[in-house]
Amino acid sequence: MSATKRRTANSDQARPKRNTRKGQTESFTDLFRLHQRIANASAKRLAQTPASSLITLFVVAVALLLPALLFGLNNNLASLLSSFQDSAQVTVYLQDDVSEIAGQGVSDNLLTRSDIENAYYVSASQALNEFSAASGLEDLLLEMTANPLPGAIVLTPANVSPAAVDDLAAQLRELPEVDVVQVDSLWLQRLAAISNLAGVIGSVLTVIVILGLFFIVGNTIKLAIENRKAEIRVIKLVGGSDMYAARPFLYTGLLYGLGGGILATILQAFVLITFNSNLEVLMQLYDSDFRLRGFGFMSALLIVIVGALIGWSAALMASLRHIRAINP
Amino acid sequence: MIKFDSVSKRYADGQEALSDISFELSRGEFAFITGHSGAGKSTLLKLILAMEAPSSGQLIANGVNLKRISASQIAQHRRQIGTVFQDHQLLHDRSVYDNVALPLEICGYQPNDAARRVRAALDKVGLLKKEKSFPEALSGGEQQRVGIARAVVNRPSIILADEPTGNLDPELSAEVMKVFQQFQSVGVCLLVASHDAALIERLNCRTLVLEGGKLLADQKPRPVL
Ligand SMILES: Nc1ncnc2c1ncn2[C@@H]1O[C@H](COP(=O)(O)OP(=O)(O)OP(=O)(O)O)[C@@H](O)[C@H]1O
Ligand SMILES: [Mg+2]
Repeated sequence: MSATKRRTANSDQARPKRNTRKGQTESFTDLFRLHQRIANASAKRLAQTPASSLITLFVVAVALLLPALLFGLNNNLASLLSSFQDSAQVTVYLQDDVSEIAGQGVSDNLLTRSDIENAYYVSASQALNEFSAASGLEDLLLEMTANPLPGAIVLTPANVSPAAVDDLAAQLRELPEVDVVQVDSLWLQRLAAISNLAGVIGSVLTVIVILGLFFIVGNTIKLAIENRKAEIRVIKLVGGSDMYAARPFLYTGLLYGLGGGILATILQAFVLITFNSNLEVLMQLYDSDFRLRGFGFMSALLIVIVGALIGWSAALMASLRHIRAINP
Repeated sequence: MIKFDSVSKRYADGQEALSDISFELSRGEFAFITGHSGAGKSTLLKLILAMEAPSSGQLIANGVNLKRISASQIAQHRRQIGTVFQDHQLLHDRSVYDNVALPLEICGYQPNDAARRVRAALDKVGLLKKEKSFPEALSGGEQQRVGIARAVVNRPSIILADEPTGNLDPELSAEVMKVFQQFQSVGVCLLVASHDAALIERLNCRTLVLEGGKLLADQKPRPVL
């Protein structure tokens, strides 16, 4: 003992040197190791109370899942919408007394307009042939003396936005040869409105969820701090800053956010798979190959990152507030 | 190093724990505070550690005016002070080693450097063999010595000790005082609260006598013949 004593006593003599090293961490790896240790300790503490940790984790996951699903569905809806809009068509039915030649002329005229991408004329007899072929009622139609179908022009607008299509339809109705203009954009507009609404609801929900997460994580951290009050007091007494005392709790928050985010992406995948297997049956009826697209790796990553960020910052706010209140 | 200038401390409940205390301690000075239970010894140490704020008067420690100290300065201030608490204040879910290493960890010491210092401090209080134990498994005196090791591990410029030998036998007390004197010899300023009259008598240091919150006497060491 005395030998060591002499050595340490000697190094005490060299005290002025210490100021150059004191308070600074030597290297990045040391800092990394220190943080790794604190993160491990935080994870272990969570594991010590598995039930309440899991409940919090699950609540965080569900909270993250709700807006993620809504935004994901809406993205799918929007892409479905745009795929329909690309093939938006306007059918212009001509008056009965417009001859085939005149009808073709009107169609050619329309083609010269800049707001019309494409137009082709379907004569009354062509329409009847197509109809009889498609319906399988050839025999019945053969017995008909007059063709009940009018000639029509099928055109593709250059601008497929609902407003532009409506505008175009209104102009077409003014033409003397035109009887009826049929735009199939009403349901598209409804779908677009639903999609917009879903976006708005998603945004509002996101704000509510973020506030809720701050509350949930903040409250969990508050309880954790309450349980470790004695330890925080000691840390403060020997010169630990509030930030130092907060570090383990920041990791707790980070782990909740990270774990909740990962759990949310897993739940989302389940929802997607279940939904798609039902959607398949439905879409077969409509002869469509539309499926909900997997929300993708990037969006899963986004959920996890957002979750981690919220968890960390909620923990930062809560822990600094409650640690500051602990006076040794 | 430590300067009290007409310092009074009145607790929130109106209790006047210290009144009109004035004294000064310089670098390398070793002083005892003595007095009956409730005389204000712990309160005086708490003021220096910024655990309590003085109600009136000027208090300067380590060049810091403790009347106008911000929350962030308090942590910095405490890192310069090694404190032995009357009630030990150990972390019960950490080993003896980790308890002693805490001040070093807070200051961001490199693990190797920290290990060397922790072992040296534990050696000084004779607890090297207990580094893996937990405080609960230690006797009162052993816990007290863990607190002493933690107070000196960071080579503070001021050491405050509140009844550091309360649970120690005379032999261990003498060992601890020797450790303190080593620090005194390298310029550390020490203030030790104790009512161990025999120990105080034997060490022949400056002694501040408190009585009901007042500084009754400031006894200089007897001249050595
Ligand atoms: N937090 C507090 N709030 C109110 N009064 C307090 C507080 N702490 C101490 N006191 C009072 O201040 C006076 C001095 O207390 P202090 O702890 O400084 O005494 P002490 O000299 O350390 O006694 P002991 O030798 O028993 O440790 C006592 O009368 C005590 O009741
Ligand atoms: Mg006391």
